[in-house]
Amino acid sequence: MDYRERWELKEFLIEQRLERRVTLFHAGALLLLLSYLLAFWFLQVARGEEFARLAETNRLREIPLLPTRGVLLDRRGEIIASTRPSLRLLLRREGLVDRDEQLRRLEDVLAVPYENLLERLDQASSQPVFEPAVLKEDLSLGELAPIEARREWFPSVEFEQTARRTYPFGAIASHVLGYVGEVSERELVAQASEIPLYRGDIVGKSGIERQYDEGLRGRRGSKYVTVNSLGRQLGEGRSARAPINGGDLQLTLDLQLQRTLVEALGDEVGAGVFMDPRNGEILALASTPTYDPNIFAGKVSPEAWTAILHDPRRPLHDRAIASFYAPGSTFKVVMAIAGLETGTVSPSTTVTCNGSAKLYGRNFLCWKKGGHGTVAIEKALAHSCNVYFYSLGKSMGIEPIHEYGARFNLGSPTGIDLPGEATGVLPSDAWKRKVHGERWYPGETISVSIGQGLLAVTPVQLANAMSGVATGKLPKPHLVLGDATEPVDLDLSPEVLRIVRNALEEAVARGTGRRAALEDVVVAGKTGTAQVYKSSAGIDADELPKDERDHAWFVGYAPAEDPRIAFAVVVERGGHGGTSAAPVARQVLEVFFSNKLPRDERDSSLRTGATRYRGIEDVGTAASR
Amino acid sequence: MLGRRPLDNLDIPTLLAVLALVGLGMLAIASATVEQPGREGLWQRQLLWLAVGAMLASVVFIVDYHFWAEFSLALHGVVILLLVMVLFVGTEVGGNRSWLVAGPVRLQPSELAKWTTCLVLASYLTNRVRGSMGLRQMVEMGVLVGAPVVLIALQPDLGTALIFIPIYMAALLLGGLRWKVIVSLILAGVLLAPVVWMQLEDYQRERILTVFDESRDPSGVGYQVRQSKIAIGSGELTGKGLFQGTQSRLNFLPAQHTDFVLAVLAEELGFLGAFAVLGLFYYLILRAVVAGRSSQDRLGTYICLLVAAWITGQAAINIGMVLGLLPTIGVPLPFLSYGGSALVAAACGVALILNVRGRRFVNV
Repeated sequence: MDYRERWELKEFLIEQRLERRVTLFHAGALLLLLSYLLAFWFLQVARGEEFARLAETNRLREIPLLPTRGVLLDRRGEIIASTRPSLRLLLRREGLVDRDEQLRRLEDVLAVPYENLLERLDQASSQPVFEPAVLKEDLSLGELAPIEARREWFPSVEFEQTARRTYPFGAIASHVLGYVGEVSERELVAQASEIPLYRGDIVGKSGIERQYDEGLRGRRGSKYVTVNSLGRQLGEGRSARAPINGGDLQLTLDLQLQRTLVEALGDEVGAGVFMDPRNGEILALASTPTYDPNIFAGKVSPEAWTAILHDPRRPLHDRAIASFYAPGSTFKVVMAIAGLETGTVSPSTTVTCNGSAKLYGRNFLCWKKGGHGTVAIEKALAHSCNVYFYSLGKSMGIEPIHEYGARFNLGSPTGIDLPGEATGVLPSDAWKRKVHGERWYPGETISVSIGQGLLAVTPVQLANAMSGVATGKLPKPHLVLGDATEPVDLDLSPEVLRIVRNALEEAVARGTGRRAALEDVVVAGKTGTAQVYKSSAGIDADELPKDERDHAWFVGYAPAEDPRIAFAVVVERGGHGGTSAAPVARQVLEVFFSNKLPRDERDSSLRTGATRYRGIEDVGTAASR
Repeated sequence: MLGRRPLDNLDIPTLLAVLALVGLGMLAIASATVEQPGREGLWQRQLLWLAVGAMLASVVFIVDYHFWAEFSLALHGVVILLLVMVLFVGTEVGGNRSWLVAGPVRLQPSELAKWTTCLVLASYLTNRVRGSMGLRQMVEMGVLVGAPVVLIALQPDLGTALIFIPIYMAALLLGGLRWKVIVSLILAGVLLAPVVWMQLEDYQRERILTVFDESRDPSGVGYQVRQSKIAIGSGELTGKGLFQGTQSRLNFLPAQHTDFVLAVLAEELGFLGAFAVLGLFYYLILRAVVAGRSSQDRLGTYICLLVAAWITGQAAINIGMVLGLLPTIGVPLPFLSYGGSALVAAACGVALILNVRGRRFVNV
């Protein structure tokens, strides 16, 4: 093989090798592209639907459509709670120029310190930049006008419409209506209601607002909007689900009576319950001091919270249903019925009252120092003779007292449709063994006989019991019109009821309850004093310092011959029921029985506010951006 | 050297395949930038770049490839000088100092380097490699490739630097590197991987780990890969229709008109669109192989195959990244991604293939 041949052979071998390597490259590239094609097939065809769904959820964001909370009306159709539109002031953070200048100008207009505005702006910095910062909730017209007038001074300011609960009559019915607020962390976790709760939802926190929250709140709807990768909304989306607005609720409350009751209680600490004895409809229910539920409608300032929570008079507490007091002499009504029904005494059985009685080695006083002389049951009840009832209690023992008290539902919740009703105490031997672990001593019956000792009842229990006395049937107190249930027959003899009713009429006409008497209407009633200090028994209440005085009761019904209203009023530290509680009841009864008073004299601006906004249907949708 | 014969032998199918890829790219760029303020006209600028590319490619095509090969070392040297210049007077774009700006002319020397590297390696393989390849040849070619790679890596544009590796590997393969050497190199690479791993920056390691677990970094790199996969997958078989891709138009997709442009096409044209792009790339590779096989000499074969390796390698890295099979590296898809220099360079690369194909008959 010569050089040329060798060279040609070598060239041939190189060519051949190159040929093979080109084929190898070709095959490698083809294999690579085929495997990529397989990967595309896997993503787009095998898992295509899955990714298509992911792209949809990427693209579409669900935005809630908020329902409008139901309106609360009184029995005449007056709006006492509604939702009104409210403006909030926003600051656009995108393209924000002259930040400090704008904030300084807002400081002047809103009277909010610059530092606070800046702080609110900073709080928003964790959100996407196109979400504006909320600088002020519930803007007033006086704040809006100067901004609108000098729009060029506030280039980044925007307004957004939101919904806000409003109570046009302020503090008048706060304990019945309750208030609303943002759902709490605990409520969110619990999800107790059937309608799911979401962060930021406004829910009822107390009163009717809480009791009927589910019906009033309504149900959120939602719509889907297209968003880009930053979450910015790009246009109106399709509506997925319309919100279901909350239902309106008409209450049994009579706003006129309610207002009269609150005004009659005035600065006193106390409570009053007025109801229709025939069906249990609550006409007025108040606890003083009251509070303005409007302050809870938006974001509550910490100062306002502290002030209310630390007020020693506990304005948020509903004394009408959640405070219990000894019923005092008002309990003698139950005692008399028990005594007559059990046959322990007859209408003519007499007891002589000398102003005191020695029982079980102890001296028990009558409130009247000279004594009532010889009295039978009707007079003893009308004039509230303690000695008669000591004697009756001693002969009867605790069990019949418990039985008849229970028949009037004392010492147990009435079932009124408000949250937080207290139970109270109606003692018995069984109760004492259970709670205190010892037997009932007969001596304890003596103080129970005049409504003191371990007895504890709520104003609504007593008002309901008075309904029972007035009609012979015990209704169920309730606040929603149309929710009446058939009253339970107390199974009392008409003769017994007649005697007791006569005594109650006498008590108002000539006895301890004279200050509740009306000109044209016969009122039946009974005063009572819940003893606070044992030592104060027998001491003239008016001579005691105010904070040592007893609580004053006045309970009853009217008109005596055909009862249409039954009531219980308690005034804490009021001393004798006759002097402080009876006048409160009289004022309400006067209004109830008088058609001469103007229908209403409430603040007209608030009222038009309430009705005007009621017509705006889409208030609830304002939260969408 | 100049003559009418090459023009008569212009490989029209190759040209059409390239134009089809550029056309698809411009559609995707237009779609991806509709909702991006200030970028609406990018596809038109890409058209302008295509014209520039066509002009330069014509020059590359008309001048005989032997002439280019002869001066390849000088050209390569000039480009390396430019790469050095870029490090000192370059303009920084997106964290990489890779641009030379002189008045209206903006130049990315790293793109030019791919072109000269192919030429210089082909020329080296033709003249210096006889018989099988030895260590000396490997090292010398390594220096020729390594110079631009190191300079580009210093910019630091690791993605572009990476493209040179498939070119170098193709050169070794074609140059006849013995199999036992190839196998030992692969083994060495596997053994060296942990060492390289230790040398990587944290963010680079993160990108590699994301390939195996895309939930690692849901808002960072993992987010990009995930959005790209959602875009591709949601295109399903036939796509959402041109200009209907929600992922790209609503900006969920990152770099949708540059590195992730294929995801836009896959979303809007579906599997069929992806198939078309892969098919066109394969056709281009096939034409390069055909041109290489039919070339009048080995130089032509080497040029065609090295350019093919460049385009295949770059496409493979880009598509692997878009599919989430490879770490996220900033590498554009040849012909489709927006970017002037890359388009011009790739066009000049294809012009070399056409050049070789046009001169396959020795007796011109």
